[in-house]
Amino acid sequence: MTGNPSLVSVVDDDESVRESLPDLLRLFGFAAEAFSSAEAFLESDVVDETSCLLLDIAMPGMSGPDLQQELKRRRHTIPIVFITAHGDGALRPALLAHGAVECLFKPFSEAALLDAVKTALRRPDYPPAGAT
Amino acid sequence: MTMQPASFSGGWTGFHVNGDGATANATIADLTSILDTVEVPIVVLRRDLTMAGFNRTAADVLGLLLSDIGRVSRDIPAFAGSPRLEQLCREAITGGVESRVDFRDEDTWFVVRISPYARGSGQVTGAVLTFTDVTAFRASIDQAIYERECTKAILNTVAEPLVVLSADQRIQSGNRAFYTMFGVSRDDTQESSLYELGNGAFDHAPLRRQIRKMLAGSHVFQPIEVDHVVTAQGERTLILDSSPLSFPGHSERRVLVTFQDITARKQAEAAKDLRSEEELRRSEAVLAWGQRLSSTGSFSWKVASGEVRWSEQLYRIYEVEPGTPMTLDVMRARVHPEDLSLLEKTAEQARDGMNDFEWQYRLLMPDRSIKYLHTVAHATRDQDGQPEYIAAVQDVTVRRESEEALAKARSDLATVTRVATLGVLTASIAHEVNQPLSGIITNAGTCLRMLDASPPNLEGARDTARRTIRDGNRASDVIARLRALFRQDELTLESLDLNEVTREVVTLSLSDLRRNRVALQWELAEDLPAVTADRIQLQQVISNLLRNASDAMADVHDRPRHVLIRTEPEDRDRVRVSVRDAGVGVDPQNMKKLLDAFFTTKSDGMGIGLSISRSIIERHHGRLWAEPNDGPGATFSFSIPSDPAMLPDTPPQWGYS
Repeated sequence: MTGNPSLVSVVDDDESVRESLPDLLRLFGFAAEAFSSAEAFLESDVVDETSCLLLDIAMPGMSGPDLQQELKRRRHTIPIVFITAHGDGALRPALLAHGAVECLFKPFSEAALLDAVKTALRRPDYPPAGAT
Repeated sequence: MTMQPASFSGGWTGFHVNGDGATANATIADLTSILDTVEVPIVVLRRDLTMAGFNRTAADVLGLLLSDIGRVSRDIPAFAGSPRLEQLCREAITGGVESRVDFRDEDTWFVVRISPYARGSGQVTGAVLTFTDVTAFRASIDQAIYERECTKAILNTVAEPLVVLSADQRIQSGNRAFYTMFGVSRDDTQESSLYELGNGAFDHAPLRRQIRKMLAGSHVFQPIEVDHVVTAQGERTLILDSSPLSFPGHSERRVLVTFQDITARKQAEAAKDLRSEEELRRSEAVLAWGQRLSSTGSFSWKVASGEVRWSEQLYRIYEVEPGTPMTLDVMRARVHPEDLSLLEKTAEQARDGMNDFEWQYRLLMPDRSIKYLHTVAHATRDQDGQPEYIAAVQDVTVRRESEEALAKARSDLATVTRVATLGVLTASIAHEVNQPLSGIITNAGTCLRMLDASPPNLEGARDTARRTIRDGNRASDVIARLRALFRQDELTLESLDLNEVTREVVTLSLSDLRRNRVALQWELAEDLPAVTADRIQLQQVISNLLRNASDAMADVHDRPRHVLIRTEPEDRDRVRVSVRDAGVGVDPQNMKKLLDAFFTTKSDGMGIGLSISRSIIERHHGRLWAEPNDGPGATFSFSIPSDPAMLPDTPPQWGYS
């Protein structure tokens, strides 16, 4: 990988996820930012720079799918990988149908995480505007 | 007549007696003396109707005076008002005709015999009038006539027809009502036979025989009802009565026959009979329909004679041909085999003591369908004072089925709710545990990578390892919270009769058990000490044990699904409750794991029930255990001290046999 590493943003209300995931992502060679809520992410200045969004589904306030809708509305086409502690596989097809790249069920393995992020970064509509 | 002096004697002139003068005079004197002694007035008139003489009685009775001799009779006050008498006297004198005439002198009535009087030559020279006093006779005849007229009037006034029959059973006379009734006149019927009347309706042997007997002297007559008597008013029904008419000194007997028209009464009675019959029929029909509509039959049972009467609807409920004599055997053929002993017992109790009773039982119909019956019997006494039960039997199958369906729906709902709750709980547990697990795995991976890097990022590895430990503790906290969730915080202690608690649970569980075709028996110790415990929690335990027992027999089809729930005192100060089933039993290997949370052998169970039960019993300082039966199935028991507060605060005891 050359140049600036792709930015992977993590949005999750669970602190241990926010603490552990960015470290691992950086070890994978990505840049990583963590946000405790969807609102915090939207208000940040990294929305345009984010190449992949690791997004929790169930959060207080705006949920993961809500954020997905909001980004669509704002014409941001950030590839999204959902991460959830609710081991409900039934949600997965609906999420994928709405454009998610993947849905990971916590706890997930490093390999599954890396696969999902790589898949997201290979998306045809990637790189998003602003990325080099 | 006016009183005359008694000394007044009769007066006689012009009497001529053949013979010499002296003898003749003597003879005349004798004759006049004799005539004076006769108590009958005698008056003699001459041809010219002048008074010739009269005797003393005539002077007394008719008030004749000596001066009347020689007077023309019409000038004599006594005869002045009687031209008929004068006429007859004239006829007697001129025609020699003897005659009689009624003669009245004031209040006295006489019959006067007028005889021509002739001297020896045969020439009528006068008339002799002898006065016979008939006043008393006339009065009695008058009286008789009066009486007869009165009687006649009475008889004619009487509405009831009467007729007098002569000795030859012919009609002599009837009253007006009689002639009116038969539309005949006196002349029509005179001397006709009673038996020709009314189109011959009376012509029958018993009537003839009775009237004949009465004419022969009998006084007894049995009234006879005669139908279809043709009268002027159409066909009537009459009652004939009769009494003898006999008179002293009269040898001839007659009979009086009365006719009482009872047609209207008969018709009214018939109408009433018809009406009450109709009313009875109607009320029976209403009752039958009522029984039909309410699916309620009834029966009566005379205990002493064993006589049983069933209503039509009861036959219908039992699907037995109406009219079949009902015996216990007929009932036995229908009553569900499992309820037979109940039938016998109920019948026995009913026979022994006359009390009202109520019982529910099932019928097993030939098509294998089941009917649920509810019987309410009332003990009473019949007309003879013999004990009798009157009972209503209601077919409550539909109600029962809907109740059971409702109970099942409720129970299903409860299960769904339970499962749903558990599902939510599980999801929540999973979420709570997955979050730290996710952290642990990610951190551990990060840690490894940091250590593997060259140079190794030891500081980062330490941080991630610390975070791993922290997440591990978080997971542990989640489990601790879960444990707390299963444990209820406060016990509400009260003094309890465990038998009562058991009965309450059984009552609540009955429909569940019944639906699972479980036959429940219980043996509740009478001398059970009270316990100080939490009622609701112990109920949960017993209910849970019952449900487990029931579930354990779900696949049992080759033997009765019996559950025996038993309470008994244990040692001196403990109470034990055990639930024995005839289910699949417990593998001895699993016996120990059985009470652990989430251990289950049931396909649809969560394995939490026994675990919760155990924790409840432990909080009561008791123990819960399971043991295999000698036969099929297992027995789950718990025992708790009667007063946990008296116990030293010992750690929970875990017991398995």
